[in-house]
Amino acid sequence: MTTQRGVGIEISGVRKAYAGAPVLRGVDLRIEAGEIMVIVGGSGEGKSVLLRHIAGLERPDAGTIRLNGLEIQEYLDLPPEEKPFRLSMVFQGSALLNSLTVAENVGLRLREHRTHPEREIRDIVARCLEQVDLVGSEGKLPSELSGGMRKRVAIARALAVEPQVILYDEPTADLDPILTLQIGQLVTRIHATRGATQVVVAHNLALAAEIGTHIAVLRDGRIVDQQPAKALARSDNPFTQEFLRAAGLRI
Amino acid sequence: MATASDTFGRPLPPVPRRAGLLTRIGRPILEILQILGEGTVVFFGTLRRLGPAGRTWTRVMAQMVRIGTDTLPLAFLVSLFVGMVLVVQAADQLQQYTQEILGSIVGLAMTKELGPVIMAFLIAGRAGSAIAAEIGSMSVNEEINALRTMDIDPLRFLVVPRFIAMTLVLPMLILYADLIGIAGGAVAVSFDPAIRISVWQYLDNLTEWVNFKDVVVGLIKGFAFGIIVSVICCTFGLRTKGGSEGVATSTTAAVVWSFVLIIVFDYVIVRLALVF
Repeated sequence: MTTQRGVGIEISGVRKAYAGAPVLRGVDLRIEAGEIMVIVGGSGEGKSVLLRHIAGLERPDAGTIRLNGLEIQEYLDLPPEEKPFRLSMVFQGSALLNSLTVAENVGLRLREHRTHPEREIRDIVARCLEQVDLVGSEGKLPSELSGGMRKRVAIARALAVEPQVILYDEPTADLDPILTLQIGQLVTRIHATRGATQVVVAHNLALAAEIGTHIAVLRDGRIVDQQPAKALARSDNPFTQEFLRAAGLRI
Repeated sequence: MATASDTFGRPLPPVPRRAGLLTRIGRPILEILQILGEGTVVFFGTLRRLGPAGRTWTRVMAQMVRIGTDTLPLAFLVSLFVGMVLVVQAADQLQQYTQEILGSIVGLAMTKELGPVIMAFLIAGRAGSAIAAEIGSMSVNEEINALRTMDIDPLRFLVVPRFIAMTLVLPMLILYADLIGIAGGAVAVSFDPAIRISVWQYLDNLTEWVNFKDVVVGLIKGFAFGIIVSVICCTFGLRTKGGSEGVATSTTAAVVWSFVLIIVFDYVIVRLALVF
């Protein structure tokens, strides 16, 4: 596969409330092209909500989200063939289509948009499944796979379109430590081979430190700290320190 | 007095007051308007996407099999017994007059009313509930959002094939039900000792009274009911929230709404057919 450059993401002043209850209270975050940004925070702090805003699945009440200078809504309104870059998302529950096989799930977007001839799609699907160590599972249905395998199929599906931005919503939730490590290694391998910008939402700080080039801490609907992963331990932010202590981590 | 707070020491939102009378009346009305609005958006959105695109026709064929072919045995059984019951009931009422009009009674009842309505109910209960549950579970499992992030339009991918399949299949099923119902009536005529006319008299009377327009009105109803059931069930599927309980609620609501709208539109179509 060809190495691709990532896309820069700029989030400014994003606010969102549900039924009057504010969840995001003015999020400002800058993610450089090619970074692995891990957003950490406690449960219910709005990490997944923020990720869904970046994917354009939710509209903010206020504020803007720009990808390579292009407002997310303008990006979404463009026809697929005119989009200047591609964005993929790996959902917490994998979100595979249960009626389709693994291979059909991975090749779905390519087939729907008829971007490649069928033989080429089959090759791309095979390559993506190889990349996530799932060769031989092409004909299986999602219901026949374990949680970790479903996550890897979801990542293969995200990779199939050669995206410049990949968003992960809690990619290791409900996975055992070995599978968590495998997923983490996969994210860093994608970074090394493709250079795509990756945004990972996680509450697992050990994973964040392992895979992230940068880490942002979300609290009370705002980014309260943003550091290169290696510098996180030196942060003087009291919440970050509390978070690190709670996780028992030395980074 | 200390204020209640969460684990992080943040104050909890105040406990909402009990809803007043106006709220209790207004909320369901707003909910109904919301559903009708969403249904209208789904309907016109589907119409705009009806052009041939992608692999729509493969999916339409798959849905036609699920909605139509798989319903044939059940439709056969239901229509056969409806025709038989009609004959037996009417024959009993007509015992002191003439049973020679049994054919027209069964023919007109099946083609104009019972065939379309019973088949629409059957499809709403069997295929409509399956559609609402399937799309609903896709909504709560974020599969619909996954489609959106893949630049795949959920209306084109999920709703259009079901819409086309149901609007094509329901008139066909109605024609099938009409024939089986009439045949059921003939079976009852030939076997029931209380009926004193022959099968030929039954069929003669039927062909004399049932005309092409009656059959066409039934088929138009089928077309309209197909649109209603597919749009309502897809709308409820797409608006599903809240896990498996949400899927169950949506599925029930989709079937109930379909039944109510089938009866309402049945009246509207009958009234219009009498005008033209």
